[in-house]
Amino acid sequence: MNNTIAIALAVARKDLTSEWRTRELVPALAQFVVLALVIANFGFQIDAHNAPSIAPGVLWLALVFAGLVAFGRAFAAEREQSSLEAMLMTPASPVAIFAGKAIAATLLLVGCEVVLLPALTLFFGTPLTAQIVLAVLLATIGMAAVGCLFAAMVARVRARELLLPLLTLPLFIPFIVAGGQAVQVAMGGSGSSDQAIGLLVDFDILFVVLTSLAARFVLDE
Amino acid sequence: MNRFEKAAAAAVALMLLAAAAIFLYAPTDALQGPVQRIFYLHVSSAIAAYGCFAVVLVGGAIYLRNGSLVADRFARAGALVGLVFTTVTLVMGMIWAKPIWGTFWTWDARLTSTLVLWIIYAGYLLVRQLAEPGRQAARFAAVVGIFGFIDVPVVHFSVTWWRTQHPGSIIVNDALPPEMLATFLFTMACTLVLAAVMIAIRYRIETLADGPVPETAKVLAAVSAGEAEPVQ
Repeated sequence: MNNTIAIALAVARKDLTSEWRTRELVPALAQFVVLALVIANFGFQIDAHNAPSIAPGVLWLALVFAGLVAFGRAFAAEREQSSLEAMLMTPASPVAIFAGKAIAATLLLVGCEVVLLPALTLFFGTPLTAQIVLAVLLATIGMAAVGCLFAAMVARVRARELLLPLLTLPLFIPFIVAGGQAVQVAMGGSGSSDQAIGLLVDFDILFVVLTSLAARFVLDE
Repeated sequence: MNRFEKAAAAAVALMLLAAAAIFLYAPTDALQGPVQRIFYLHVSSAIAAYGCFAVVLVGGAIYLRNGSLVADRFARAGALVGLVFTTVTLVMGMIWAKPIWGTFWTWDARLTSTLVLWIIYAGYLLVRQLAEPGRQAARFAAVVGIFGFIDVPVVHFSVTWWRTQHPGSIIVNDALPPEMLATFLFTMACTLVLAAVMIAIRYRIETLADGPVPETAKVLAAVSAGEAEPVQ
């Protein structure tokens, strides 16, 4: 068990070091989400009245699509260098390797959220509360687990850019329903956000357990 | 006529009988009028679709456990047939919703989760097509099938908690008059027979498409099942 955690952390550290040295993904994702906000502004004709009702939707759309790019990249680099096969040849368990990749992808997406959430507040004038940050972080964990599992899968498949959104977006819906509710409440909507946060925790547990059970069959191929 | 043609003919005959029951035997709904007759096939095909996807789930799980080709073929057959029945459910539901709710579509729990169901199994068939045929496609698809089956109740629950307007279980609540209940049960039985026949035929097609099992694969399967020792 300790060994598994050590391997997962080593793989995560490797991915984060490589991102730190190249500085490719996070700046690109940050630029991507700011562009998404600019497009939403012109698409919706944002003003002070409608911003609170539109901002949650824009937040989740930008986050989900940035996530798809991040999760896809997590395995694209390994595929280009054929380094995943090398890692799988070591005695390390596939689940530990997968967990490491998922942890790194989660942290990279959090790096992108560090830009997205303040930018949303800046451009849309919506509040930035602890509740919003919590909801977004909780959703990120579950979405990263599912997203990385399917990214690992499509990395070995033709037309991978097409297939990743088709497979993962339906599985993101529970997170978006609960997370969307929590953010709407925090931005002035009606309803209870405690329940939404509780649901997000439940979904995180469910999908993290499921992906760790399934990771062996996807990576060990 | 071979046995598949006979089975298909029997299933079609049963569906015609069900149609006769729906239009001639079942009484017209006092409130909704003739459009309520959509109910019988709409709910039956939804149940048939769930049954097909249960076949995909069980087939995928068995395949992941022991690599059984038979289980994988049943999963493939179930996904395709289930997708057909989901399409029927969605389209008939929309036709029914227009006069009764005044709109073809609303984002309620059951509609949303059925649409998600459709999208997931359409993705399942895409994975089968795009992955390398054989072991890889079967494994990846099994994972998609299992995640899809679990995702649908989760989506359903999360939207129910949010908002819903689809009528609940009128069958369980004893709200149907006996003639309607009899028609419904008969239609459901016929639809399930039709689904089973379609899966059987599709299974046969998948078997033929796979071609004869190569000798090496048989040996490998025997070794992994522990029935034979690998030659040193």
